[in-house]
Amino acid sequence: MNFDNIKELLKRYDFSFFGLSLVIFIFGIINLYSATHTSANMHHANLYKVQIGWYLISLFVGFAISFVQPKNYFRFAWFVYAFNVFLLVLVLFLGHEGMGARRWLLLGPFRVQPSELMKLSVIFVLARWFRKRSPDQELGLKQLVFPFIIAFIPTILIVLEPDLGTGLLILLIFFTMAFFRKLKWKSLGILAIVGIISGGLMYQFGLKNYQKRRILTFINPTADAKGSGYNAIQSKIAIGSGKFLGKGLMKSSQASLNYLPENHTDFVFSIFNEEHGFFGSILLIGLYLFLFYRFVWLSVNVSRIFDSIVIIGVMSIFFWHTFINMGMVMGLLPVVGLPLPLMSYGGSSLLTFGICCGIATSISNSRNMF
Amino acid sequence: MFAEEEVVKSHKGRSDILFTLIAGCFSLIFFRLWYLQIYQGDMLYQYSIKNRLRKETVRAPRGMIFSRNNQLMVHNIPRFDAIIIPQYLTNRKQTIPKLANILSMKESDVKKILKKYRGQARYRPVRIKKNISKKEVAIIETENEKMPGVQVETFISREYADKEVGGHVLGYISEISQTQLPKYRKRDHVDYKLGDFIGQDGIEEKFDKNLRGEDGYQFMEVDARGRMKRIISSNNLFAGIENKVAKPGNNVRLTIDRDLQLTAFKALEGKVGSAVAVDVQTGEVLAMVSRPSFDPAQFSKGLTAEYWSSLVNNEFNPLRNRAVQDHYPPGSTFKVFTAITVLEEGLIKPDEELSCGPTFRLGRRTYHDWKKSGHGKTDVYKSIKRSVDVYYYKLATQFDIDTLASYARKFGLGSKTQITLPREIPGLIPTKEWKKKRFGEEWQLGENLTSAIGQSFLLTTPLQLAMSYATIANGGTLYRPQVVKEIFTNSGEVVESMEPEIVSKAEVSEATLKAVKIGMNQVVNEEKGTAWWYRGRGIRMAGKTGTAQVISMSSKELFSKCEEKPYKSRHHGLFAAFAPYENPRIAVAVVVEHGCHGSSAAAPVARDIITTYMKKYEKEAHARYEKEDNEKARAYWRKLQEKRRKAKEKKEQEG
Repeated sequence: MNFDNIKELLKRYDFSFFGLSLVIFIFGIINLYSATHTSANMHHANLYKVQIGWYLISLFVGFAISFVQPKNYFRFAWFVYAFNVFLLVLVLFLGHEGMGARRWLLLGPFRVQPSELMKLSVIFVLARWFRKRSPDQELGLKQLVFPFIIAFIPTILIVLEPDLGTGLLILLIFFTMAFFRKLKWKSLGILAIVGIISGGLMYQFGLKNYQKRRILTFINPTADAKGSGYNAIQSKIAIGSGKFLGKGLMKSSQASLNYLPENHTDFVFSIFNEEHGFFGSILLIGLYLFLFYRFVWLSVNVSRIFDSIVIIGVMSIFFWHTFINMGMVMGLLPVVGLPLPLMSYGGSSLLTFGICCGIATSISNSRNMF
Repeated sequence: MFAEEEVVKSHKGRSDILFTLIAGCFSLIFFRLWYLQIYQGDMLYQYSIKNRLRKETVRAPRGMIFSRNNQLMVHNIPRFDAIIIPQYLTNRKQTIPKLANILSMKESDVKKILKKYRGQARYRPVRIKKNISKKEVAIIETENEKMPGVQVETFISREYADKEVGGHVLGYISEISQTQLPKYRKRDHVDYKLGDFIGQDGIEEKFDKNLRGEDGYQFMEVDARGRMKRIISSNNLFAGIENKVAKPGNNVRLTIDRDLQLTAFKALEGKVGSAVAVDVQTGEVLAMVSRPSFDPAQFSKGLTAEYWSSLVNNEFNPLRNRAVQDHYPPGSTFKVFTAITVLEEGLIKPDEELSCGPTFRLGRRTYHDWKKSGHGKTDVYKSIKRSVDVYYYKLATQFDIDTLASYARKFGLGSKTQITLPREIPGLIPTKEWKKKRFGEEWQLGENLTSAIGQSFLLTTPLQLAMSYATIANGGTLYRPQVVKEIFTNSGEVVESMEPEIVSKAEVSEATLKAVKIGMNQVVNEEKGTAWWYRGRGIRMAGKTGTAQVISMSSKELFSKCEEKPYKSRHHGLFAAFAPYENPRIAVAVVVEHGCHGSSAAAPVARDIITTYMKKYEKEAHARYEKEDNEKARAYWRKLQEKRRKAKEKKEQEG
């Protein structure tokens, strides 16, 4: 590859995804530092360094993936899916236990969470399936049966871990993609009704006690203010106390004084709100919104329907994480342990979103390359 | 290819809807943020402040106590406690044995103390050992780095300059007890907390409100586990949160003279009893001691079990202030009031003489004089000088007991003096009505006789006795005794100044008082007066001895030697006096429990106190009197030597 080639490549290279994600990550890392640097726990105080390390890794992986030809996603979709389902089954039997759940596989020094990868695997298989079934037609319930099964198998496996949040996330990804693939409005209505009924049944029979408690707490957090409602209340106090301009960087009292226990993972957004107020949050939300706009714009500006659907799938991973996390910390949704993309501490989460950006970039690059 | 691109484009509608939905979701987030941060922002902001702030009390330094001459009697000194702050105790395993070793404690004891306070906030210190030595402080300070969480805390402790001297008047402070808490909260309308120090006796108790000052408070930031993060000194971030500076307590200037106090304490060495000296013209208490005594400093330092049990198990009850909390039969010291009664009632003239034999018979009972041979012809002067019992027996049949009581009351006997010291008792001057009420019996004439010489039911506190003698000395004005002269702030500003307070004027004729005073002067300053041997030099005191019978005795027992009786049945020795005779300034009352004789046990104490007083406050008079007394003494010796020489010559001549 000579110098001109590289120049040509860089000209065509779409930096928007990595660029936006880097900006959000910078917000995130400053916020993470602010939330944890005062911690007496040395491990916590150094989290921001670990996070930067993970980000560099995920950037490297994402960058590598950005050079993969999109047709390879199509080609290996089923293989990856099958392998991933196998891993999920393996987790149920051999998984590493932590915090009452069995979600991890130990591979030497690494802990792998197959459910993270499953989000992506499902997208490829679904995109491949939707591409094959007359993509110019609207989708009815009948055409939805098989893709639903594709999505439902990993969902069940993940819910059994148990990780209800990620399980439901896969269903949400599935529906988002199906909606994009012109699911009939009538079918959507029927599905909504079925969803509500099965949700009710699941609450009654399928949920564990702590999960029920989370939902009850969401409805009335003050009922158990020191117990299960504690996080929700303290988070709302943190957000509200930021007022318009916030208390200022490193001035969060709720976080620095440990009133929010999970302030570096699930509740980073609360800390951000406390320190930067309404104004700062609007800025951050604007960045996310812009990122999603890039995805949606790209989805109808590619030349292959498979790429288009994959983009929507990847976008939906991003979006649902963002919306559910934000909604949860401000009391709009029950507390579900989903991280905020690029803001929350966590290696596998960063890696997932790094890969997502890589995929989007590779698809974006490929549309100029035929 | 081309067709597929068309297909992709056909999804534009759905992608638009999708983005609209996404935007919709975010507007939900937007409105929720607006609601929380703008609409509820102020409220939630307040919550977040309340969450993290805690109010800690800052103790006000307690006021100091000065003598009337501005000598410091009670002040505060730092005391050192070894403490552990659990929040910083990171290396438990090594730190605790090390600390235990330094403090020479058992490791398990340290752990036990820590366990006891486990419930409290982790930034709060746990006191491991109180009042550690300077050496221990030094070791802890140097080993500090190896023992995270261990600190030396400086603590203000109460220091009493003269230790045991006057412990009763000054009182002590100690931590408020669980049972006192609700009681004192109600009494003082102060929100006391456990761990607060409060005055528990004497001046410390009675003037607690002035001495204690006002505690301040300090806000501090704490985290979710209650660990202190920082002290908040600026109010900018926390509108409406203000620290309050502790207001130091006011100082108290006593009427007590430290030198008199020391003299009195020393004079009572080895005795059980008390001495009170008051200013005749103002009612100010110049000295008040009670023995055995206690060291008040021990209480604020944290009482050791040994010291406490030594106080509680002492049969003489060192904690009681005998000057106001104990009463005794006044014995013959009461005779001056009987004399006043009979003179005022016109039962006898001062120089009218009665023939006084060794006994007096009333009905079938015989009343003995203390002198087996009797006193012969006796006027009122001699009756006081020689303490003639029969003189008073004879006259006692002629008055009503209520009359005697009314005269005694005019001089403050039988009721509380209203001194500002705790738990004063009123003493007792019996009346017919009182006896009827108390025993359901009529008053007997025989009881007139014993009352007249200060026995039967009569009880007076040493303070009352001193005040009544002061009233005689100043011509009939009964003052309220005072121990505090003024209360002043640290900057010297006087907050409250106590003026002499007249309780009543005893309407007794000057002639009567003069007669009694002459008698009292003779007691001390004339040969054969009962206190003649204890008259001292240059003080010119006038007084009355008293020997109070503790239990009833047969005449045989009565005349047996007092010192040979068992301790508990020995007589109390009393002496009350004022000085100088011509221009009275000071009145003193001394009670020595089971001291046998008023003269030998109590009079020397009064003499010492008055001597110190005269030397300090009446220098000129003292010098003059001393010169006269010395001359008199020399003349007396010359006379004695002359007599001896003559006797010798006579013997030689005869021989």
